Amino acid sequence: MIRNTRMKRFSIVSAVATVGALVFSTLPAQAATPGVSAKEIKLGYSGPLTGSAGLVYGKLPGAMKAYFDHINANGGVYGRKIKLVSRDDKYLPTLAATQTTNLVLNDKVFALVGALGTATHSKAYTAAQLAKNNVPDLFVNTGFSGFANKAKYPTTFTILPSYAMEAKIMAKFIKDTPTLAPQASFLIAQDDEFGVDGVNGFALAGHKFTAAPTLYPQGALTPALAEGALTKLSAVPGKPVLVLFGTTDSTATILKAAEKLSLTTKFNWIAGSVGGDANTLLALGVKPSTINGALAASFFPDAKDATDPYVSEFMKINSKYNKGVSFDNVVLQGMNSAMLTVQALRAAGKNLTRAGLISAIESKGADFASAGLVPLNYSGTSRVGYNGYWFGQLNEKGELKPFGGKLTVYTTDSSSNSAPTASSYERKPVPKNGVPTNS
Amino acid sequence: MKNINLRKSLVALSTTALIAGLAVAIPTAARADGPTCSEVAAATKYSARNTQLCTGVDQFGAKYEIAMPKKFNGTLIVWSHGIRKNTNLPKIPVVAPNGYVVDNSPEIAPAPAIATALLKQGFALAGSGVQTQGWNQEEQVLATTIVIDQAITKFPQIDRIAAWGASLGALSTQLLAENNPGLVDAVAPLCLSDSVEANAITYASDALWLTKTLFDPSIKGNGYASGSTGYAQMVTDIGKVLTVFGALSASIQKNPLAPTWPETSTVPATLKGIPVRSAVLLMGLLAGVPTQSRTFDSSSGPKGPLETSFGLVISPSLAVLENAAEAAILAVVATYDLELRAGGVVYDNTQTNWATRLGDDSDVYAAGLTGKTAIAGMLAYLSPLNPAAPRVKADPSAVARVAAYAKIQGNVTVPTITLAGTADHIAQGTQYFIDQYNASVASGKAKPGLLVNIWNKPPDQYTKFTDAGSPIPVDASAPTNGTQHCNFTGSQWLTIAKLLTDSAKSGKAPSSKVVKAAIAKDKNLFTDPNYRGQVHKYRQ
Repeated sequence: MIRNTRMKRFSIVSAVATVGALVFSTLPAQAATPGVSAKEIKLGYSGPLTGSAGLVYGKLPGAMKAYFDHINANGGVYGRKIKLVSRDDKYLPTLAATQTTNLVLNDKVFALVGALGTATHSKAYTAAQLAKNNVPDLFVNTGFSGFANKAKYPTTFTILPSYAMEAKIMAKFIKDTPTLAPQASFLIAQDDEFGVDGVNGFALAGHKFTAAPTLYPQGALTPALAEGALTKLSAVPGKPVLVLFGTTDSTATILKAAEKLSLTTKFNWIAGSVGGDANTLLALGVKPSTINGALAASFFPDAKDATDPYVSEFMKINSKYNKGVSFDNVVLQGMNSAMLTVQALRAAGKNLTRAGLISAIESKGADFASAGLVPLNYSGTSRVGYNGYWFGQLNEKGELKPFGGKLTVYTTDSSSNSAPTASSYERKPVPKNGVPTNS
Repeated sequence: MKNINLRKSLVALSTTALIAGLAVAIPTAARADGPTCSEVAAATKYSARNTQLCTGVDQFGAKYEIAMPKKFNGTLIVWSHGIRKNTNLPKIPVVAPNGYVVDNSPEIAPAPAIATALLKQGFALAGSGVQTQGWNQEEQVLATTIVIDQAITKFPQIDRIAAWGASLGALSTQLLAENNPGLVDAVAPLCLSDSVEANAITYASDALWLTKTLFDPSIKGNGYASGSTGYAQMVTDIGKVLTVFGALSASIQKNPLAPTWPETSTVPATLKGIPVRSAVLLMGLLAGVPTQSRTFDSSSGPKGPLETSFGLVISPSLAVLENAAEAAILAVVATYDLELRAGGVVYDNTQTNWATRLGDDSDVYAAGLTGKTAIAGMLAYLSPLNPAAPRVKADPSAVARVAAYAKIQGNVTVPTITLAGTADHIAQGTQYFIDQYNASVASGKAKPGLLVNIWNKPPDQYTKFTDAGSPIPVDASAPTNGTQHCNFTGSQWLTIAKLLTDSAKSGKAPSSKVVKAAIAKDKNLFTDPNYRGQVHKYRQ
């Protein structure tokens, strides 16, 4: 009775379903794109807002939001206002996975922008099924070369040059600089994918350090360990080159150890872009005299350089929409990523889809206006943003000035042993009022 | 009634086939007499008025119960319980504080309070206490089939049958549905253990082998002798596992940043220079032990300078420690049981590549693992080339016997509802089952739209700390919801029961809208086709 009835009902339902499938298969897909309405585009950010990493990077989403507010006040993107949902992952991989999943499944964002950290984001990418859901993963703030693997991270676009590129360019810089080349050279690096990428980059460049690199796990470089390492190196004759390939807190620990041991002038300090932010070093208690003369790599203009048109424009936006927040490299980075995002959204057109956005960055991303002093490298085959560095020297004010008084930009790749080359890249002018009009 | 006759035919067929197919032979016997029923018993055991509680023993010795309320709504819900130990145990802290005697008592619901609630709603309930405990999915399917037979014989007014079960009982429930089309109208395999190979032999035994190799090589772990000697070896192993996990816990509590290795460890001094919490974390990551446990969320730290480092490098290790102790104990008990059943060693890790197994976790957890150099050192120690870390080779005939146990295929034919924790530390079979179903749909073996999946996640952050910054342990008797195995609230069990029985009645899986409405008030439950749950690490 019941079973027979159900079987009959099932047969009817099956028939209807089959006919329905035939009918609907002839129609175009009409599924709504998550996070996009006629009036709004919802974007998501997961990164450290609190905790020790939040002290350094916590300004990032605020800077992005300030820029989006500026765009919204100027008509949005094809009439749609941008809403940024920020979630705090405290720079912890498990929490990053949770928060990114929340952004995708609960907040239903259209795309992610500016995620920060290798360990955090690689776990989050898998946990939140960004590939399966085709969620655009824009302008990730890490130089881990693994994210350039399009097969594994098909929706990801990083923004930082890879750590391997940075190491290759550092090697080139050391080799080409007469005061550095003859000196013994040493590397103190984080013992993870960040440091390993750097070590690999130096190896690709053929640079041989005087001793094996000193490696330490993230967060484990204590003052005692730093003092021990510097004491050992202090016996090296001359003014050795000491490359610091770690996060800013580690750079600060080493420089403060040098202060304690009166070794600040013993070395030619070279800090990587991740660990060489002067504002943060000074905020962490490093003396201005210690950073004075230290060499650092960057792909941006100096955030203190108000004569730079991008910096100047972003400073205005920061004053208006990010009140009370001092302008620094992190704010510059956030606003620049937001401006790239707006250009990407515009390039994707009015009929915004996730696939369309990814395709737009692949085809047009290399031509986006950007504050970077080095080229953007997006294409159908490259997901890495900036692909070069320039070298500067810090002064006591924390300003990064071009080494030797002349800006020289080098570009290279992450995986070949070809030497970095000087670039003639000329960046595009900042869009009028900081509002892109590209299509 | 035709419906009942059809079911009875199916039961007869199923029973015959199951007996013939059992890997462990069960002597055939005549059909047992029907149950004895009493309203007093129902009132006593389940506080259920106007209900008959019928008890009996089937022809294979399995005790069973059927509870039938007077205001019956037409649906029988059959329950399959999870794994129970197949051997008596003396008093052992944590594992069996009061000792353990093999328990064959029948179970008709996840808990008596759930039974009471469902009986009040007018459902009839039934379930067995399987005659053979341990890894007994085949015996359990047989016992469940027989209790259905007894129920529909005794109560011909039964119009619909819904089946549910947890853990190993979930495996039995799904096997019941897959192998007996038409017998049940809807099923709910909950916190599913998809196979003995996945759950006990690989996952749990990997955790045990790593524990033995890194922390106490005197743990036997496998190859238990027969008779009382083997029993003593098994009990001794339980003690050693508890001891070594206790030592690890004490060491990490004493000095979380640089805890020392237990005295029983024989790893070289160079490895002992690595904080032992990193070896604990490595053990967990290699075996696939979740980094979220009842106390530790890997997402919180005490306010102050240690906030980030606690969440980054200490909490994941402590979570693994809290979870892995139970996984390792499961491995000891299950291995002993399986070796007795299969007649030889069933665990084999001769082909395991631990470096591959670690995969991206070497980047994600580099800080907690004390960096790439430490990772390389620990992996080198676990290499098959290291005689101090001997691999285990299984007995092929024993493996073949286990391989012959019935397996689920994902061939879903009736509305099916799953519920699983996102940080289950024992069984991670639900996503595997979903993948099987999707493959079956893709190949035309199953119809789409029959499977609904609900996940139970812990709060985003839940570790609590004292004012001094020490984590506050969560008692094992009241673990954080969303962590641990089959750790569901009464409300969650009843929500599933409602969806299950509605599906049995309608013949359709609940729509997404209906499911979302049903779980709307529960902060931890969610459903989303785009979510992917954990699968055992060796399958990734």
